[in-house]
Amino acid sequence: MKSETLRAVVNCLIPADEFPGAYEAGVCDYLRKLFETDLRDDAEFFTTGLESIELEARARFGEPFASLIPEQQTITLEAIQYGDVLSSWQISRQRFFEMLVCTTTEGFYSEPQQGGNRGAVSWTMTGFEDQVNP
Amino acid sequence: MKEYDAIIVGSGAAGGIVACVLAEAGKHVLLLERGRELSFADVGRDHLRNQRLAIYGHNAGPELNGNPRVFVDPQGRSRIVRPHELDYHNNAACVGGGTRVYGAQAWRFHPDDFRMATKYGVPRGSSLADWPITYETLEPYYERAEWELGAAGDGRTINHQVPRRRNYPLPPVPPSPQTSALEKGASRLGWVTTPVPLLINTEPYQGRAACIACKYCVGFACPTDAKNGSQNTVIPRALATGNCELQTSAIAASIDVDSQGNVKGVTYFVEGVAVRQSALAKVVVVSGGAIESARLLLNSRSHHSPAGLGNEHDQVGRNLQGHLYPRAYGLSTTKVFDGVGPGVTIATTQFSHDNAGIIGGGMLADDFIKPPIDFWYDSLPPDLPRWGIRNKEFMRDNYTRVMHVRGPVQDIPNPDGRVTVDAAMRDKWGIPVARLSGTTHPATVEAAEFMRERGEEWLRASGCEKVWSAQPGLILSGRQHQAGTCRMGKDPKTSVTDEWGRVHNHDNLFVVDGSLHVTNGGFNPVLTIMALAFRSGEYIARQF
Repeated sequence: MKSETLRAVVNCLIPADEFPGAYEAGVCDYLRKLFETDLRDDAEFFTTGLESIELEARARFGEPFASLIPEQQTITLEAIQYGDVLSSWQISRQRFFEMLVCTTTEGFYSEPQQGGNRGAVSWTMTGFEDQVNP
Repeated sequence: MKEYDAIIVGSGAAGGIVACVLAEAGKHVLLLERGRELSFADVGRDHLRNQRLAIYGHNAGPELNGNPRVFVDPQGRSRIVRPHELDYHNNAACVGGGTRVYGAQAWRFHPDDFRMATKYGVPRGSSLADWPITYETLEPYYERAEWELGAAGDGRTINHQVPRRRNYPLPPVPPSPQTSALEKGASRLGWVTTPVPLLINTEPYQGRAACIACKYCVGFACPTDAKNGSQNTVIPRALATGNCELQTSAIAASIDVDSQGNVKGVTYFVEGVAVRQSALAKVVVVSGGAIESARLLLNSRSHHSPAGLGNEHDQVGRNLQGHLYPRAYGLSTTKVFDGVGPGVTIATTQFSHDNAGIIGGGMLADDFIKPPIDFWYDSLPPDLPRWGIRNKEFMRDNYTRVMHVRGPVQDIPNPDGRVTVDAAMRDKWGIPVARLSGTTHPATVEAAEFMRERGEEWLRASGCEKVWSAQPGLILSGRQHQAGTCRMGKDPKTSVTDEWGRVHNHDNLFVVDGSLHVTNGGFNPVLTIMALAFRSGEYIARQF
């Protein structure tokens, strides 16, 4: 799993604003663990998907995904989501993109012990966690 | 070989009660439970692996490996499913069964729920039928379940004219900001509402503490043991008599018969013991839930019952049903989430029956608190992008402003929604596994669509600026409300048991659980399962 690509991809899916983005919240750590455990059978598939994002970014904008500006990153991921790709895909694009969005989001919003919601940032952000009733 | 007065298979909502009633009547009981006894820590608080959201696993059994089922989709394609997948139609497998981790809504069925065929006729393709008993017959046993397990509610506001001799032992859960908004909305529409009855200690009861209003109720275990299930009420009572032996991690393989075909006991496997064991009993009670109970009967074959016990007329496993759940969401202009659990507070039973052009109907209530990831999967508007800054902003701004309304819809059963046993697939013990096929009847989908519209209407009247909803299609509806596979009735050709749960033509074999339900009501079914268990338990205690 190429870490700079993954870092940029998860932060495009859940960008930083006044609350941390997915990478800062620990989602890459979460994903690494997930693909070593529950989803180990899909680890290769997922890595191939990330490589395909790279190929699409280079085909579209001539740069690595991580070097693109946010608008270009969004365009790249939307192209993959909606099937408007310039690169050729050896794996199921739909299945990969669904897995990418769901696993990233699961990491960000599940409990901090899983690794992707450091300091319970998403719980503070949503208001799930409060002081009265932890 | 050990000999008991009764062997009960399954320690869930029904099995625990039958064990308690028999043990307190002095009977020597063996209670078999395929799962383990789970502590609060065992169940945990994993947001991705619980009985409500089971993405990579779940928290109350059965174990993911070694316990497959086969699911046949509406197009006829079959595949192997694991316990945490939706199409497995799992109910928890542990001491207490589903009651260990349920939401504990404690509804009585409506009197008309017991006479659906008389009230509506029998739609083509359905097996809609009346129960052999009425609401009035069951009423004292509903009261026993409410008082002996501990239910909280307000008997005066249950509006469907359900005659009730006695109020709930505990006051209802307190209202939340969402409650008052929904109350006002309902009153604008002229609908009546009621607090949701729950088997939860809103005050200390029977030596256990009160609910501390945490955010983890349905799908999880209770930190103060204030949620009342079999495992902390009737099973401890049964064990306290000294008459009940609880054997956990024990899966029944078959019900055994003698050379005349009379039921004599049960053969089972215990985790960690390679050889199967058998025990003898005067009476066998099957309480494994609608799928596993049917599986056990179908797997109990002899030359007297070549198609399985009680299956002379090919009825065992048919009419598998549960509930479709229409869901509606509304964006409130103010914050409605205050973090006070369990979260479910208010319901309307306005539409249980007598809806023009609809067979049956349902109940609508607000919802248990959803962890954010469950909310993300379940509750977002369909026009919202699923990722990117707009998705994050919606989660940030609206997690505490979305109002939730949902509820079970009366299922119109049909014989093709069913449990059989698979010809090839076996579990880790070598026991043929359940094969699930069919769907609910189209009339259920029509009722669900009607209820979805009422949900949206309620939220609009409650001041929501944007409303959306979701509707299940024509699917198999069993899941945690699974019922109907050994229905009770008077005619052995169209039912499996008599009104006591006694399997036709077998004096000492009973089924006692949701399998008995002729129809499954427009409500969460557990209190009805419990009431039937008290009634059958008393009967069995008198007979054996």
